[in-house]
Amino acid sequence: MKSGRLYNTVYFDNAATTWPKPAQVREAVSRALTIYGANPGRSGYQMSLSTSAKVYRCRELAAEFFNLADPSKVVFVQNCTMALNIVIKGLLRFGGRVVVSDLEHNAVMRPLYAISPKNPVFDVAAVYPGDIKRTLESFEKCIRPDTRAIVCLHASNVFGVRLPIREIGKLARKYGLAFVVDAAQSAGVAPIDMQADCIDYLCVPGHKGLYGPMGIGMLLCNSERVLPTIFEGGTGSFSTDLQQPADLPDRYESGTVNTPGILGLAAGIEFIKTRGINTIAREEMELTAYIYNQLAEMDRVSLYTPKPDLSWSVPVLSFNIKGKNSEEVAEALSKKGIAVRAGLHCAPAAHRKYGTLNTGTVRIAPSVFTTIKDARYLCSVIREIEKDN
Amino acid sequence: MSSLCFYVSSITNAMRGKEILEKNGIRAHISRLADENIKNGCGYCVFVYSDFDEAEEILRSSGIRIRGTKKMNDAE
Repeated sequence: MKSGRLYNTVYFDNAATTWPKPAQVREAVSRALTIYGANPGRSGYQMSLSTSAKVYRCRELAAEFFNLADPSKVVFVQNCTMALNIVIKGLLRFGGRVVVSDLEHNAVMRPLYAISPKNPVFDVAAVYPGDIKRTLESFEKCIRPDTRAIVCLHASNVFGVRLPIREIGKLARKYGLAFVVDAAQSAGVAPIDMQADCIDYLCVPGHKGLYGPMGIGMLLCNSERVLPTIFEGGTGSFSTDLQQPADLPDRYESGTVNTPGILGLAAGIEFIKTRGINTIAREEMELTAYIYNQLAEMDRVSLYTPKPDLSWSVPVLSFNIKGKNSEEVAEALSKKGIAVRAGLHCAPAAHRKYGTLNTGTVRIAPSVFTTIKDARYLCSVIREIEKDN
Repeated sequence: MSSLCFYVSSITNAMRGKEILEKNGIRAHISRLADENIKNGCGYCVFVYSDFDEAEEILRSSGIRIRGTKKMNDAE
């Protein structure tokens, strides 16, 4: 299947979730339901142990992919948002503040707001796309005596701007702060090395750049901290003890895990490894740059960043057509069989920064299945919409 | 042939222990915990059939918490 033609759709909404999924992911999900159908980690019969081995294999793959030494510190969660909630609420349970960027998604901002609606527990650092020095200075200025952590996204889900996480990680290390990275928009398209990047907690969705199914995410813990939990339950370990186990992954992994999601995710990670993350990033960026160049030639199209480039961004692009609402443009594209997302993308902070809070933007994100033909078609339809008064 | 069972708290620890042992050339297999002397309930065993001391050292140095051991003979 090339470029998701099933519904006659040219799919550019890969920043929301990648689609289609690779054949090996679909097959792995099917195997989870047919062959590896027992509950892992609860019983001793063969199917349960075989399923457990498959689940553990995914932990190994993820640990290797993000350079985390111990696979047992890969925690399976529902999604990236759940991972962020576990870490943010755990780190701030007994007080303190965090530094965030001015591009954050609500997956970071809403948990922070929930902790203290009246007295914000965060300080906001400005990101200067491509300017590491100024960005770092901005983060450093926000660090206060009661700062506990830096929590930031790796790449903006709206404008594609990539943050210099290695340098920010070193800054966090210098001040003894925990470093939490929201890799929702970067995992699978931008290399992440938890050791070199000094990341304590990496929050990852399974269904975006890693090509797994929806409903699976990961929290990778590169820290000896034992954070307070936000939910508790059965883990198949220490069962007579009412206290939640301290051991990972059990501490944050109560209840039956999402085996179809995990096996699908493992196949997705293998898919990325086989293709090569740098190859994927280069190819997707070539398409994004092509689209950018085409849009830049259209008089009524507004673009918000310089031409995307792997040195400072990931392959995500936002635009508007002057005189048209972003949702109206997305609807017009939909009528021509093109899938994009318009509006605020759950990231009002990023839109505020770029002056698009009132209008939203139309977002374009390719995947490994997007072709130059798809990009040409997209641009031709945008040109039609732009000329249509 | 005798074997040694290492009791660990969870399937993840058991899987990790098995992988590490096998990477070090020590054959291992996993089964469900069945020892009333191990407190807290639930858990798994990692069985090895040789190199008992080395296996224990490898597991401990890898940070795998061993909750107990039991030596078993063929007849058991």
